[in-house]
Amino acid sequence: MTDDLEQLYQSTYTAVVRFLYRKVWDAERAEDLAQEVFVRALSHRPEKPRAWVFAVAANLARDEARAAMRRKRHLTLLKGDPIAQPTITPAADDTVEHDEQVASVHEALNTLTPRDREILLLWDAGLSYPEIAGQTGLAVGAVGTTLARARRRLVDAHDRQQTRTGTDAAHS
Amino acid sequence: MRHIPEDELHAYLDQGLSRTQCVEIESHLADCPSCQATRDGIAALRDRTTALLARLAPPRTVAPAFESLRGRAAEAATQRRRRVSLAAWAASLVAAVGLGWSASSLVRSAEPARPAVPVATTGPATAPTPPREARVQTAALLAARTPDGPASSNVRADRATPVLRAHEVAPPSSDSARAHRDAALSVLDPTPALELSRLEQPGRQGELELGGMWRTMSWDGAKAEAGERLPHIDGLPVVQVQVQNGEQGSRPVMVVAQQLSSGQVIRTIEGPATDVSQLLSRRSMSDVDSLFLPGDSNQVGTDASHAMAMQLGDRMLAITGNLPSDSLRAMIRRLNAEMRSK
Repeated sequence: MTDDLEQLYQSTYTAVVRFLYRKVWDAERAEDLAQEVFVRALSHRPEKPRAWVFAVAANLARDEARAAMRRKRHLTLLKGDPIAQPTITPAADDTVEHDEQVASVHEALNTLTPRDREILLLWDAGLSYPEIAGQTGLAVGAVGTTLARARRRLVDAHDRQQTRTGTDAAHS
Repeated sequence: MRHIPEDELHAYLDQGLSRTQCVEIESHLADCPSCQATRDGIAALRDRTTALLARLAPPRTVAPAFESLRGRAAEAATQRRRRVSLAAWAASLVAAVGLGWSASSLVRSAEPARPAVPVATTGPATAPTPPREARVQTAALLAARTPDGPASSNVRADRATPVLRAHEVAPPSSDSARAHRDAALSVLDPTPALELSRLEQPGRQGELELGGMWRTMSWDGAKAEAGERLPHIDGLPVVQVQVQNGEQGSRPVMVVAQQLSSGQVIRTIEGPATDVSQLLSRRSMSDVDSLFLPGDSNQVGTDASHAMAMQLGDRMLAITGNLPSDSLRAMIRRLNAEMRSK
């Protein structure tokens, strides 16, 4: 027998992993957290499971980010110098290109305000306007405005980067 | 003609508008090329956004079987139940320990009054007999303790010192303990059938020293030797047991030192009446100096230890300690009742 939660799992698991990945930037961790979300859903049996799943995923990601920040601060204190960003291991050309594309979008996304970013990611994860409004505390009418701004900023930031990279490439 | 705002077109394309709003927008779009162009631009923006965000996807993910998640959920529920029961167990343990602790502190804080409580109940039963055979002597054995007393008295002397100081300034018991004691004493027969008399002020009478040897024994050892006659107040930790064997055939004098929660040491003495009264009247017993430290007339009154004795035929029961006389009186009555019942 398949229940509603199982159907939701089949239809949204990938979206939840992607949503989490865009917050924790670690594929394995994102999958672990996504599974944890559905394990919790099985215990809680929420009334509105889809919105609930993303709300819990956002909370887990936030906890994860806080823990990472604490670890980073701790390590910084221990080492006395800033933590180096994870280095991208050299790989085949197509992988490098893919990584560059990811990095540029990642960077463009980081130019958004946290709220704009959150709403954009929730919309991209497939949530409806009322669901986004319910989760973020925004008025339903304001979701469209926020999304309009977030989309524009994301694309503009990415285009600016591409222009800069293209100029750099032309100079080199 | 009013054009459609951009955010409304976003909402329209995102299907975030009501059916009525959609109808309005669609009818406007049908007649407005400018808004159509804007809509197409926004649609392209949406597509680009989606395409950009699609790059930020983890490598291909495969959802594990839902059944495995069910198993994890069941396991988590079991663990939660275990944690809850463990927490409940720990909480009950803490509660039990706390209860025991507070009960013991209640008992201890009421200790000075405690001996009087059984008296209130056993009093009527024992009262008819004592008038004929018992003679209680109140002794203010002002056992002045020299600060440079013998080293053998170290433990008790150390413990007694702060108590003595406290006694100089204030009663040794707290207000609540005093209230307990007063309440307990108030139920005592106001006209005790026991004849109370103050023991003479003892002085240095070294020539009257007892010749017998004092032995310090373990509680169990003394108990085995003296049985139930071993004088003591139930419920107080025993600090020391000393026994002096008398003449052959006669019963020994036993001294049991016990400590109150306040740190004060009280001693219960039981033995032949002559030996005990001699012991009480003597101040410098070199071999039991830890029991009664040599008196010093200069310190009388500042370093007082009281004694209360009760003679029963040829035997005498006594109690000494740095407590108010009424406390000692209540204690010895209780002690007497307990010794009789054994």
